[in-house]
Amino acid sequence: MRSLILFLWKHRFFLLFLALEAVSGALIVSNNSYQRSKFISASNGFTGNLLSFYDNIETYFSLKKTNENLVAENARLRNRLKSSFLLHDTVSYLVNDTVYKQRYRYLEAKVISNSFQKRNNYLILSKGGKQGLYPEMGVITHNGVLGIVNSVSDNFSTVISILHSKSAIDAKLLRTGYTGTISWDGSNYRFGKLDNIPSHVDVNQGDTVVTSGYSSIFPEGILIGTVVKAVNRKNKGFYDITVKFSVDYNRVEYAYVIFNMLKDEEKTIKEEVGNE
Amino acid sequence: MNNQIVKNIVRFVLLIVIQVFIFNKINLGGYLNPYVYLMFVILLPFETPGWLLLTSSFAAGLSVDIFTGSLGIHAAATTFVAFTRPFLVRALLPKLDKGSGYLPGINSMGLATFSVYTLIFVFIHHFILFFIEVFRFSETGSILLRVLLSTLLSSAMIIILEILFKKKD
Repeated sequence: MRSLILFLWKHRFFLLFLALEAVSGALIVSNNSYQRSKFISASNGFTGNLLSFYDNIETYFSLKKTNENLVAENARLRNRLKSSFLLHDTVSYLVNDTVYKQRYRYLEAKVISNSFQKRNNYLILSKGGKQGLYPEMGVITHNGVLGIVNSVSDNFSTVISILHSKSAIDAKLLRTGYTGTISWDGSNYRFGKLDNIPSHVDVNQGDTVVTSGYSSIFPEGILIGTVVKAVNRKNKGFYDITVKFSVDYNRVEYAYVIFNMLKDEEKTIKEEVGNE
Repeated sequence: MNNQIVKNIVRFVLLIVIQVFIFNKINLGGYLNPYVYLMFVILLPFETPGWLLLTSSFAAGLSVDIFTGSLGIHAAATTFVAFTRPFLVRALLPKLDKGSGYLPGINSMGLATFSVYTLIFVFIHHFILFFIEVFRFSETGSILLRVLLSTLLSSAMIIILEILFKKKD
């Protein structure tokens, strides 16, 4: 007996090691079979609370990532909404009349992209070649001129805004009937310039400027804006006229595209004049 | 001696905390996880009695187990490596006089010996650890690569921590 105790004492380090490994092994096995001892489950209340507290803090560090995921998910869901689909039917009517032959036809379109801060601004409409659009059609809103169709794809079209360096729209002063050209100098998107109004004409502040109808793009008499400043440059023989656009280009939602049904006829006769 | 006990208890708590809340969150390449809590066993004084060495190592492993939910695995591996520690110390430092109050560390052992000591120590631990894990999860293929890479990572972390904190000890 004494020698046994001596033996155990001599090898106490190794025996303790074996005992602890046995406990570990038992834990591994019991953990594997989901039968945890009371001690472990009691301590899990404490560690569980600690871990959830830590997780609460840790959540903040992943907020950005979570947000990105939510945005991506939103975009994915939004793609399935009805409003993401193009409505392919159109609201336009043809009128047959023996006295008046219809010359212009209007097609409504949604403005899906719009800029006004750049030097050359474009809009994109949700109607395209499949709906009969072609380049050089006029585009207006309920209260004024927007621009001219530039290029057309199957279901979309780009519009050169009146706020564009190459935009030049034939205009006239409604009261006196004198014609000029509307352009934009690139500074303030609310104001444009009316050129080529001769010095002898009477121009007042508040005069209405409308389309002249000389080009085949816009019908006559569509609102462009009103004169806010007219400086008579007598040495040049023309006025410097500042026009305030009637359309707020910052807030354009819907537009009308103008079909000129006699466009080809006008074009051929204009070419005949040009050829002479 | 009392001073040493307090110091080691504090080190135990701190290492478990940073292991659980910082290093367990690190997952390089999906599965490389540095286990710096081993530093507690590595830095126990040479004169620590055998029973204390084994039980405190077991406690350290079990603490990590409780937080990671891998009950018993770390306890088994840490107890095993603690069991091998006296043999390892005797092999690396044959001239060591146990009664001198000599502490493991770069200051006493030098960087090279301490690094070798740490590498072997961590390798034994990780080998046992991953061996038991594989037993449970049967992913035998990459076990040795995992052991080697994890050993390098854990050892590097432990040596860096030792360099950073050696003056305080």
